[in-house]
Order: sequence, then structure tokens, then C-alpha cells
Amino acid sequence: MKCEEARELITALVDDELTHVERSSIEAHLDDCPRCQWAYQQERVLKREIHRTGLDVSAPADLKRQILTRHGILPVEAESLSGWSKIALTFRPFLRPALGLVLVLLVLLPIIYLVRPHSQPISLAALEIQEKIAGGQISLRKATSQIELRDWQTRAVDGKFAPMEYDLSSMHVRPIGGLVQEINGRKILVTVYTGNDMSVTCFTFLGTEEDAPKNATTFFDTAKQIKFYTFSKDGLNAVFHREGDVICILASKIPVNDLLALARKTEPA
Amino acid sequence: MAGWRTTEEQDKFSREAIVHLDHLYRVARYLVEEPDEAHDLVQETYVRALGSYEQFTPGSNMKAWLSRILYNFFFDHYRRKKRWVLIDDSSIDDSSKDEEYRSDYWEKVPAENPGPESHLLANELTTKITDALRKIPEEFRLPIVMVDMGDFSYAEAAEILACPVGTIRSRLSRGRRLVYSQLKGYVGVQDKGREKK
Repeated sequence: MKCEEARELITALVDDELTHVERSSIEAHLDDCPRCQWAYQQERVLKREIHRTGLDVSAPADLKRQILTRHGILPVEAESLSGWSKIALTFRPFLRPALGLVLVLLVLLPIIYLVRPHSQPISLAALEIQEKIAGGQISLRKATSQIELRDWQTRAVDGKFAPMEYDLSSMHVRPIGGLVQEINGRKILVTVYTGNDMSVTCFTFLGTEEDAPKNATTFFDTAKQIKFYTFSKDGLNAVFHREGDVICILASKIPVNDLLALARKTEPA
Repeated sequence: MAGWRTTEEQDKFSREAIVHLDHLYRVARYLVEEPDEAHDLVQETYVRALGSYEQFTPGSNMKAWLSRILYNFFFDHYRRKKRWVLIDDSSIDDSSKDEEYRSDYWEKVPAENPGPESHLLANELTTKITDALRKIPEEFRLPIVMVDMGDFSYAEAAEILACPVGTIRSRLSRGRRLVYSQLKGYVGVQDKGREKK
């Protein structure tokens, strides 16, 4: 095989798009041709770097908001009135007994709430996930690519929300992996960023500002019109804020003021 | 083709479609010159996709379907406008000379366990690759964007770009060499990469 003939086969080898016969042919050539072997190595590196370059481009937050608003793409909790009307019509025969059940529950639930042991807020429970990751009790799904990780996490919550992402590349901090956890029936998307001798974990879930710890210190960012809550647990600092129905908690061992500055300064990617 | 007919299914479709927003924006940024144009291109893609959601076959590749809509819209509406500045690719010396593959610069960039310094270099490399991609002709750039950035197979890229699979392979091969030739040594592997398999 001439080197000129090997060029496209090298490309397809890099992309794992060869037939068995083609692969045998090009591999035999590469064994005998240092120049093409070198070209193959170069093309592999180039493909990896182009892929990495692509990951640096993501849709602006305002574009996402515009599309969500324009097309009425909302979380399941905010479905349209017409949708509820259809459901009500479908289940009309069951409405009366259901209403009775609701009344019974209205009486029983406060009693159950009062007698059961109170669980800690989801925001504090989320930080325990961080401890389990650090302690090796749960392992991360390695991020082969940020897109793949985000797609996987979003699918895990049926597309109801996506993990909040931060571009910390200017600090040389990048996402290395993530997981999906469930606390009190609520799913939390966890993404771990590391680099530059620091680690930041981002927890994303659906909720309200009621999910912030009661003793959290609040800070209102007048420019962004967002309220930030800072709190700490077992040496871990955290910054909590809400964007629509989505809650984001950034947690790290870096000083809480630095973490707050990071959360305020950094636009979600 | 039938499917996605109920409101619930349409909502599900919409939520699945929005997952691919970053990918579509990424493709758009390498199709058109200005961020505002990419913005409009993606907006219109969602208008078209969500307006014809019943044409999507549930279970098929939604990311590829959306990419095809985006590319078709670009093809129909943007190609009449000013195109990318095309370079005369025949003038680019992308021959596989060994000395072109050598790079003292690369010696400073560890491939594994990058430290702070290498991050700086990696950022510079990202800019270089972006610039290089924008300079090469569209017919070579798009297969790279689809396969290397979009993680599509040759067959999927061929369907999106409406060309034969063999064309994807040849244009990728040529396109990568064009990109490489403009990086002037920013991409490379150390000599250990020359070892035989």
C-alpha cells in the first residue's frame, strides 16, 4: 500500500470506521511505515483536541431561556391548565371518592408530620453525598465528555431539568464526572469539577428557596437580582441559589467568600 | 412516522429536544460567522422541529434529526448571504512531511495530567483550532464538526449533510490535514508516539 492510499484509511482508523479487511490492511501498513504511524498518532491527537475545543462552546443562558419560554417547555409540575382539564375529565367518575380521600389525608398528614422524626433539609443532605464521594462510598460516572455526562443526567430525570453547568476553565477547573442521587424522593444531579488543586461540586435539583438551610446567611445580588445563601457543614462550604425551579448548590472546601464570589461571578455555562 | 400525537407526548418531545441545545448551538457557531446568526439559526431550528414534531420517529436519533433540520435551514437561507471567507485549499501544503509533524512547542504540553501551565497552552490551542476550523472551506469543516465535535458516525453525518458516506471520510481526512497545517505545531505527539503498534 502506498502512503497516499493510506491517508483516508488512517482517518477512518482514528474514527473506528473501518471494515475488518480495511483495518487489517492499514494496520499492516502502519507496522511497516513509521511515517504513516506518526501521521496516525497526530490525527488521533488532533481529533481529541478538536473534540475538546467543541466542549468549550455551549448555548448562552439567554438563548435557552428564550427557547423554553417561546415554546412553553416547562417542568412537569407546571403543565398547562388544559392538560389538567383533560385529566380531570378522564377521572371524573373517581373525583368524589378522591375528594374524600384528600380530606382524610388533610387531617392525617399534619399528625404524621408532627410525630415523625424530622429529616434534615435537602441542601444539607446533599452535602453528605459529597462526603460519600470523598470517602469512596459512592463512585462517580466518569465524564468521557461533558455533553455525554449532561445527557445522561438529564435522561435520568426524564428531561425535567438539566444539571447546572459552570465554565471554570479559566481557573483550570473542569468537570471530571457526576452521578444522580435521590434524597426524600427528589433526584439530585451531582457534577464534580476538579483541577488546580481544588474541587468544586455542583448539586442541581428542582426546588424552592425553602430548601435552603434555616441558619444560612443570605446575600442579595442586586445586579443579578438573585439571593444567595451560604452555609457550612463539617468543613465543607456551600452556596445555594435558585434559577426558576432549579436549585444549584456549589460546595467546596475553599473559603466561603471565595465560593460565593465564584457563584456570583460565574455565569452558568 | 406517526407518533407524538398527544399533548403529553409533545411535551416529552420538547423536553428531549432541549437537551440537544448545546450541540445545535455548537454546530451553528461553526456554520455562521456571527453569534447572533447562530442564535437565530438555533431558534428557527426549534421552531421548525417543535412545529413538525409528529414527523419525528420515536426511538430514532433525535440529535441527528435536529441537526438535519438546522443544516437544511442554514442551506436554504444562509447560503445566499456572504459565505465564510474561503481559502484556496490547494495552496495549503498539507503534505505529510515528517518535519511538519515535529513540534518543539508540543514538548511543553503534557498529554496526561495537565498542570496549570498546560491549561494555559490548552486554551491557546483551543483558540487556534477554532480559528483554523473557521478558515477552512465549509465542505471540509462540517464533517469535522459533526464527527469530531458531534460524535456522529460517518453514516449519521452523511445523512445530516446529505452526501455519501465515502465523501464524509475523504473530506474528514482532507479537512483534518487542512486544520493541522494551520496549527503550525500546536498539535502533536511526542516521539514515543512514533513507536510501532
